Amino acid sequence: MSPVEVGTYAIFALIALIWIGMPIGVGMLVVSFIGVTLIRNDAVAVNMMASVANDSLEEYLYAVVPLFVLMGLLVTVSNVGRDTFDVFQRMLGRISAGLGMATVFANAVFASITGISIASATVFSRIAVPEMTRHGYTRKFATGVVAGSSVLGMLIPPSLLMIVYAVLAEQSVGAMFLAGIGPGLLLSFVFCAAIAWMARRNRSFVFETDDTEDYESIGAWAVMQKFIPILALMIVVLGGLYGGFLNPTEAGAAGAAGALIIALLRRSLDRRSFWRLLVETGQITVSVLFLILAATFFSRMLALSGVPRELAEFFLGNSIGPWGFLVLYLLLIIALGCLIDSISIMLIMLPIALPVADAAGFDLIWFGVLTVVAVEMGLLTPPFGLSVYTIKSAMDDPDLKVGEIFRGTFPFVLAMAASLVILILFPSISTWITRI
Amino acid sequence: MSTGPRNPGAADPAASQPDPTVVRVWHRLVEALAALGTFMIGILGLIICADILARNAMGASLPLVSEMGALLVVMIVALQLAAAVRSDRLARTEVFIVPLTTRFPRIGAALALIFSLVGAWMLGLIAMNTFDILADDWTSAEFIGIVGIATLPTWPFRALILVGFAVAALEFLVRALVEARFILRGRT
Repeated sequence: MSPVEVGTYAIFALIALIWIGMPIGVGMLVVSFIGVTLIRNDAVAVNMMASVANDSLEEYLYAVVPLFVLMGLLVTVSNVGRDTFDVFQRMLGRISAGLGMATVFANAVFASITGISIASATVFSRIAVPEMTRHGYTRKFATGVVAGSSVLGMLIPPSLLMIVYAVLAEQSVGAMFLAGIGPGLLLSFVFCAAIAWMARRNRSFVFETDDTEDYESIGAWAVMQKFIPILALMIVVLGGLYGGFLNPTEAGAAGAAGALIIALLRRSLDRRSFWRLLVETGQITVSVLFLILAATFFSRMLALSGVPRELAEFFLGNSIGPWGFLVLYLLLIIALGCLIDSISIMLIMLPIALPVADAAGFDLIWFGVLTVVAVEMGLLTPPFGLSVYTIKSAMDDPDLKVGEIFRGTFPFVLAMAASLVILILFPSISTWITRI
Repeated sequence: MSTGPRNPGAADPAASQPDPTVVRVWHRLVEALAALGTFMIGILGLIICADILARNAMGASLPLVSEMGALLVVMIVALQLAAAVRSDRLARTEVFIVPLTTRFPRIGAALALIFSLVGAWMLGLIAMNTFDILADDWTSAEFIGIVGIATLPTWPFRALILVGFAVAALEFLVRALVEARFILRGRT
């Protein structure tokens, strides 16, 4: 077999192994190991794998993963999410479908202090959904809003997916973080527009009964008190990064320290629960970094096989062209999103697609934003919509069918598709802030 | 690490397992490594915060922080890998294997057995070759940092990384054994 053939079969074998449920990291290791053995020989393969295992993670930058994960878990236990929702509820509660919009904005703000969509989905399904159903919204809509807006967690910095992309594409993590802000805001506004439109045109989708319940009114002082910790963390993380005081790893450490102080001040943490959070942080870190380790080996194997170079020649040499490639790539990602989870999609697709994107002369930061948005659509689509299942398990309500949540998220999938088109047509939404 | 005094008279919950002492010691080892890895996360956060303070308050970065940080990340992953294998925290998709296992438990277990063996094979290869890297670090007295300011030898880190990968490979084998027993006897 020629190296290109080996590489091509390896890609398909990997997708098959992942689909039948092999741990994704293990699948990447074994496929790459066999691939390198066939292209060169087994001694080269063993050496390459061991050096990847020892060297690929030995980067100061990767310390960013446990630190931001820890920060996200700490703000989750200290009820910062509830406070964010309270603040926006007070600001928007009285407009039609205002609670839906409050959920979107609370998610956007919460996203700026946490890096995982799943955290947002868990927090807001416990806070926002009961509040919305109490005010006469349908459950379908309430859970749909929470699932839809939870994707903001991965777009607005700090974001785990952005870190993974930056690592694979050799872009600066700081630049990727800043690039997520514009698209995150765009998505929030498109979501709100969709909510407003539904509340006018399709009332039965949004409201079950008329909203007769009272809104809790909290005073301006209480709002300030609730908002200050969030604002302080945002200033430390985003301000530190943007102002150039902190590199991403340090921003993670400072953010985690800040979140720890808030949790301690609110007495929401004892020694036991702190240790439990650290253990949880460790487990998330391992599962992410082990994937990155395996993906590094996979991408070296692919580079050795020459598949990315062949693909670049194929796409750019004929009538499909760079734009045809971009559209195909995004559609493929959205399709894969129906089968496998976000990080795995990026780890499989990027080693194949990045050399093509680079050869096509695309701005790799913009390409990254498009990738993350397309990948995130997979969180909302059946049958593997991770956000949807997270909400289902967080709600713990046997009456709530997964299908009902998927129907509720559908308008938000459409809104994301519209935003994706806008982001493709106007690259400067993603790139302007990194150019300053 | 002590396993505590054994009391032959008391009912042993692990009695149905093959040789409970070995099983218990093994569990403790995996947990101890994971706890060490967890502790490293705290250390990592602390040294980076100390570095930020030192740089902004005294105008000088602390030595070794970035090199230590990098090695700590590898250690955190290696040390917690076995625990992640045991508690099934390695990312995988469930669209196929979960429904399959519900309908045909033994076929599902056979598939899981194959996956565990492949995992043991891959991590075993990594561990064996990390031994060569460790030997290199030892003989060439590899170090991080700058001579004259602060240096640390890399071999203790490398040794822990090796232990982490080796234990994770064995944990995959342990899982494979559990799955094989299930296939043969039809119960765990």
